[in-house]
Amino acid sequence: MNRHGFWGEVVKHKTLLLMLTPAVLFFLLFAYIPMTGIVLAFKQFNYAGGVFGSPWNGLDNFRFFFDSGDAWRVTRNTALYNIAFIIVNNVLQIAAAILLFEVAGKWFRKITQTALFLPYFISWVVVGAIAYNLFNYDVGTINVFLRAVGMEPIDIYNTAAYWPLILVIISAWKAIGYGTIMYLAAITSIDTEMYEAAEIDGANVFQRIFKITIPNLYPTLIILILLAIGNIFRGDFGMFYNMVGNNGILFSTTDVIDTYVFRSLITSNEIGMSAAAGFYQSVLGFATIMLANWAVRKYDKDRALF
Amino acid sequence: MQHKKRYATLVLTIFMALALIVSACGNNANNGAAVDNGSQSGADAGANNGGTSEELTLKLLMVGAKPVDYDVVFTELNNKLKEKINATVEVEFLDWSDWTQKYPLKFAANEDFDIAYTANWAFYNDQALKGGFLELTEDMLSTNMPQTWAAMPKVAWEQAKVDGKLYMVPHNNTEVTDKVVLIREDLRQKHNLEPVNSPESFANYVKAIAANEKGVTAYGAKAADGWKWHELDQILLEQQNEWNLVDYNVPLAYKLDDASGQLFNVYDTPEFKSLLTYYKDLADNGAWSKNVVSNKNDVWQDIKAGKVASYAQNLGTVAANVAEARRDTPDLEMAIADLTPDKKKIGAISTQNGMAIHATSKKVERSLMFIDLMQNDKELHDLVMYGIAGTHYEPVGDDKFNAGPSAANYTGFSNWGFNSPLNRTDASYPQEAIDMSAEWESKLHHFPLETFVFDDSKVKNQVASVGNVMLRYAIPLEYGLIPDIDKGQAELLKQLEAAGINEIQQELQSQIDAFLANQQ
Repeated sequence: MNRHGFWGEVVKHKTLLLMLTPAVLFFLLFAYIPMTGIVLAFKQFNYAGGVFGSPWNGLDNFRFFFDSGDAWRVTRNTALYNIAFIIVNNVLQIAAAILLFEVAGKWFRKITQTALFLPYFISWVVVGAIAYNLFNYDVGTINVFLRAVGMEPIDIYNTAAYWPLILVIISAWKAIGYGTIMYLAAITSIDTEMYEAAEIDGANVFQRIFKITIPNLYPTLIILILLAIGNIFRGDFGMFYNMVGNNGILFSTTDVIDTYVFRSLITSNEIGMSAAAGFYQSVLGFATIMLANWAVRKYDKDRALF
Repeated sequence: MQHKKRYATLVLTIFMALALIVSACGNNANNGAAVDNGSQSGADAGANNGGTSEELTLKLLMVGAKPVDYDVVFTELNNKLKEKINATVEVEFLDWSDWTQKYPLKFAANEDFDIAYTANWAFYNDQALKGGFLELTEDMLSTNMPQTWAAMPKVAWEQAKVDGKLYMVPHNNTEVTDKVVLIREDLRQKHNLEPVNSPESFANYVKAIAANEKGVTAYGAKAADGWKWHELDQILLEQQNEWNLVDYNVPLAYKLDDASGQLFNVYDTPEFKSLLTYYKDLADNGAWSKNVVSNKNDVWQDIKAGKVASYAQNLGTVAANVAEARRDTPDLEMAIADLTPDKKKIGAISTQNGMAIHATSKKVERSLMFIDLMQNDKELHDLVMYGIAGTHYEPVGDDKFNAGPSAANYTGFSNWGFNSPLNRTDASYPQEAIDMSAEWESKLHHFPLETFVFDDSKVKNQVASVGNVMLRYAIPLEYGLIPDIDKGQAELLKQLEAAGINEIQQELQSQIDAFLANQQ
């Protein structure tokens, strides 16, 4: 492209480019420039040397994670939880969005939408406290109720097997409002002429949903899933830490990379080792997103992210 | 899409990295300047006797919440400081909620401050080894802080050394670290229980409360806070057997009467096994909540509300609790119980509290003078420790005080770094605690390894993994949540071995041996 052509393009799209600038700057400042900090993963950090002057120590920082024998367990937990969250949350969000769209009453729709959105704004710390008061063996609401109706109380905080289910439910409860609004927006932007045509052709409500609404949601769904897949090796620290805390009995099923690394390094305060763990997550995430994008591309070129 | 806040390590790293990069260019220049300044001010010091001619503002880093009346007290303090050393201070407070994250960042970003509160529980060794603090030489101390140099016991300086070098002006306060138990005296009498003064009588007390007091948890612990070595372990394993754990993140101890300091794994001893039986018996009798490791409540508040009937803490903390209870909840009668009254007592090492100079500070001499005054000038010491007389405290004689009308507006931060023999005691401080601590001090046991500090830099991977194993396997086992204690202990030992406890033991033992060899 010649120089004139490039500047021509710039001038032509100046409004769009201007709108893009803040986002580009944001990512440049908060994602690309800090990326140089990755060198810390290979260094023995000290204050005198700082980020670039500290001595190299090869792969030593990675050793703590892999030597401990827990790397596979926490990586697996992280990926499985995130896969479960992606599937369950998206299915529920789409279902909720379609239901809200099909429901006629405007007031009902608004109120439900608000109610669904509310948990999104509750901090994980508060959710953790609420959960403790629900699940507590001695005085928790659930067990008080169970005892009142003559059933055996259940010891939730000492039973690792319950936790995958609890965490999936809580994640869905917290995320549903946000996702529903995104899908609702996507549904509203579907051309209404299609629905009118379908109605004239005699399609019932289910046919409308499955033949028009859902296929039209695919692009949104694929983008959201692709973006989520990039983070599949990052555990939601706020959620896991506040729900599970330092309860060792539950670690077998609830430990994710982020909580594991936090717990291991909070006392030793080793920047290099936490950078190494973060780097490990990023590499895995990068590989997964490339793979997923490649798969989508193979299936339908237009729907891939890039 | 979803910009959820994550507090996890990576984001922390990214922010740190960013902060570092932003300040990276200035960094070297600063270091250079500090060195220049060092030699220059050395010359100055000779020329104008300490050099207080230039007015300086010293910046302090403290942990804890900013007191409501900070401005009032520090304006007063600054007026006096200006007169005495021609300097004023500005304090930055790192709130309790996130100080552990912010504190290292302040150093990593090389922010502009001169003095930092530090302690063995507040990153002292860590920051010293990473080069966050300025090394303090005898010369600097005796020149700039003559009063402290004269008043501080030599052993306190020794204890504050890391790798043979001093980075801290420790507080000047002897203190025994032994833990005691707070019990409900009224409940003990109600159920006709023998006085609590041994592990057995404590077990009886706890079991009787669990059986007879509906709605009261007999023993409260905040096991969810991530500590790996709990107060009760400290009492029943360390104090009871006269052991000393070198570092609370690693389960390795030596016997106090063993001059050679031979280490052993505390979890692999008959004493630990019998302690597990003791704990299991308490747990099975409902001494503590089944969900103790998830407990999110403040134990002391639960005790004040009458919901919990005992807990273990430092004598000082428990004594303050008792004083508070006598004031606020006179219907609940509390008492202090020492479960190991006849055992050897260990003094707190001086690094329990202290002040360090930031490595890149350019106001080193004046900062040391400031600390000197804070510890040894009666008027300034009272001001910084207790606030303004008549407002925050009422002086009682020269060494006691009563809480003033707005005592709550000047409290809750780490001014303990300035502790010294000039400290006043709370007049409402329970007499039995004063007696107890006096008796302890008479039994204080001094031993060669007292001043030893573990440098874990060579085995930090193993230390991280072992810490994880302690949290995951030891804590639930101790709280009686594992049905079969023999199997639980075997599993714990197996996991510790896999995590590298033996390598830590080797490294630690060689450091101890070298330390002892050096002393002779």
